Amino acid sequence: MPAEDEEKGEPMTDLLELQNVSKTYGGLHALASLSLTVPRGQWLSVVGPSGSGKTTLMNIVGCLDRASSGRVVLDGVELGGLRSRDLTEIRRNTVGLIFQKFHLIPHLTAVENVMTAQYYHSMVDEAEALAALERVGLRQRAAHLPSQLSGGEQQRVCIARALINYPALILADEPTGNLDADNEEIVLEIFRGLHAEGTTLIVVTHDPTVAAQGQREIALDHGRLVKEVFHGR
Amino acid sequence: MGADKVDGKASGRAGGSFNNKSIETAATGAQRRPRPAARTLKSQAMAWRMLRASLTRRRARVVIALLAVAIGATALSALAAIAIDIPRQMAREMRAYGANLLILPEPGRQTVPASTTAQIDGLVGDGDLLGRAPYRYQTVRINSQPYLAAGTDLAAVRQVSPYWQVEGEWPSRDGQLLVGADIAAWIGLAPGDGVELEMGDSKQRFTASGVLSTGGGEDSLIVMGLEDLGQLAGESGQYDLIEYSVAVSGGDVEALADRVNATVSGVSAAGVKRLTESDAYVLGLLKSLLGLIAVIVLALTMIGVSTTMMAVVAERRAEIALRKALGASNRSVEREFLGEALALGALGGALGAALGHLCAELISRNVFHRHIGVTWWLPLVAVVASTAVAWAASLIPVRRAAEVDPAIVLREE
Ligand SMILES: Nc1ncnc2c1ncn2[C@@H]1O[C@H](COP(=O)(O)OP(=O)(O)O)[C@@H](O)[C@H]1O
Ligand SMILES: [Mg+2]
Repeated sequence: MPAEDEEKGEPMTDLLELQNVSKTYGGLHALASLSLTVPRGQWLSVVGPSGSGKTTLMNIVGCLDRASSGRVVLDGVELGGLRSRDLTEIRRNTVGLIFQKFHLIPHLTAVENVMTAQYYHSMVDEAEALAALERVGLRQRAAHLPSQLSGGEQQRVCIARALINYPALILADEPTGNLDADNEEIVLEIFRGLHAEGTTLIVVTHDPTVAAQGQREIALDHGRLVKEVFHGR
Repeated sequence: MGADKVDGKASGRAGGSFNNKSIETAATGAQRRPRPAARTLKSQAMAWRMLRASLTRRRARVVIALLAVAIGATALSALAAIAIDIPRQMAREMRAYGANLLILPEPGRQTVPASTTAQIDGLVGDGDLLGRAPYRYQTVRINSQPYLAAGTDLAAVRQVSPYWQVEGEWPSRDGQLLVGADIAAWIGLAPGDGVELEMGDSKQRFTASGVLSTGGGEDSLIVMGLEDLGQLAGESGQYDLIEYSVAVSGGDVEALADRVNATVSGVSAAGVKRLTESDAYVLGLLKSLLGLIAVIVLALTMIGVSTTMMAVVAERRAEIALRKALGASNRSVEREFLGEALALGALGGALGAALGHLCAELISRNVFHRHIGVTWWLPLVAVVASTAVAWAASLIPVRRAAEVDPAIVLREE
């Protein structure tokens, strides 16, 4: 831990901390008293059968939803009891989202989709958005509409959009679920780069190879943590 | 992405490991924000860009929304144009029939002697006499073809019938006349051309100083001064009829006619109901009918536009949820969609104003046989009103859409 941290009176914390977090829908426990700590810079894989609560977890960590009970601390901020406006603010500044279904705005070009994230975050900078596309290998496709891009290319635009604001945490829910092996490898390569730079990654996946890329892998079932593996990397 | 930039902006990954810089910037995201003025400018440019993209790249949807607005705007501006124009058209007709006392020859007689006018003028009284136009009709020939010529007091006619359109000049001296547009077209006459009139054995050259068009019977008439026609016919002091315009109305005109009939011999006087009196009621009825239709059309337009906006917004629920997931506030979502509604309203209004004018012109040509009057402020009102309607109709659907739970982006699989 660098000495400067102590000087600033800002001790090194974990990026994410969940204590006994539950989410209930009616009588259903989508998450049941889940506790989890994610240090900064970790690449965490989340696996589990369908309906085990993976997306619910992502929504809560991504400030898109609230826990029914328990304590969630993200980047030093306790999320419980925050107004939705404040949740939006934290999501905007701290989280980058990547979806299985890409979710690009169909009438905006690749670069405009990336700029949208800048627009809601802070300042629009087209050159920087183009640089982000360059990074995912899509500089040449910047002016294309999503419908003119392949699935793999759309996912890369989605990634460029997620990382444009330099989020501390990237949340990816089944990012390779709709991709072929080649595109999966491209996406994983980008994740490796992000990880090398120190970005915290939480990646939900069904795919064991994808899961094995993380430093740590947890398995959920019925909203509980049932298994935890550290991959030696 | 240059290394310097990464260093300055990075939160989670400046340099690879958990160094101090990354933590500090992550905890104070606000520091990364540039000065507000620059931010606002670039944000506005992006807002415009998104608006343009939404309008130009979603053509099918935009066309439907535009039509929803434009149909209402068309109907309303056509109605308004006609409602504004009807009184104007009627006023023209009224002046055409401005005379309300008609003097004809007594049964058994051919003409009204000119000498009676002084007597009748006296009965009307100086204060009530607005105008008097005597008419004498004769058949004349041009190139052996017969035409009807009217001799009258041109100065009086010009006052009584200001709607007469003259291409060229009104006759200003003897030897000049007006040729009806139909005749002019038939014999190929232009203003300023000479024309020879024949009647019996006498022949005389005139100058057609102007071509007359009224859209009515005058278009196939030759109109000239009484003296000129009298000279050609070799007679004077005889009229076929005299039109009086007097400043009395209703039953008083009838009483005046009775007095003329009793006092002046050789003439038969009759009151003519002015169009104003008989049609003021119909005109009022027509206007309230138009107003009623306008209210109904307005209501239907509101319903149509808000239904369309609801459909547009519903279709874009996922997009709205995504924008919110990316950090859009409810307010900025509302602003963007209302901005689109305003743009659609303004465009639809402009389209509707143009189409509405065309419809009104079509109706006016068929009913009044005249061009519709141009009211310069009407298109402005159409655009402003359509924009307001589109805005009001979108308010509720957009408010509701902005409430969309952003969590659905991850759920929709
Ligand atoms: N909005 C909701 N209303 C009711 N039940 C829900 C809702 N969202 C998720 N669930 C339920 O919560 C459980 C966990 O769902 P989810 O987190 O999506 O699982 P996973 O992503 O692992 O497939 C499932 O049983 C699901 O049906
Ligand atoms: Mg899921």
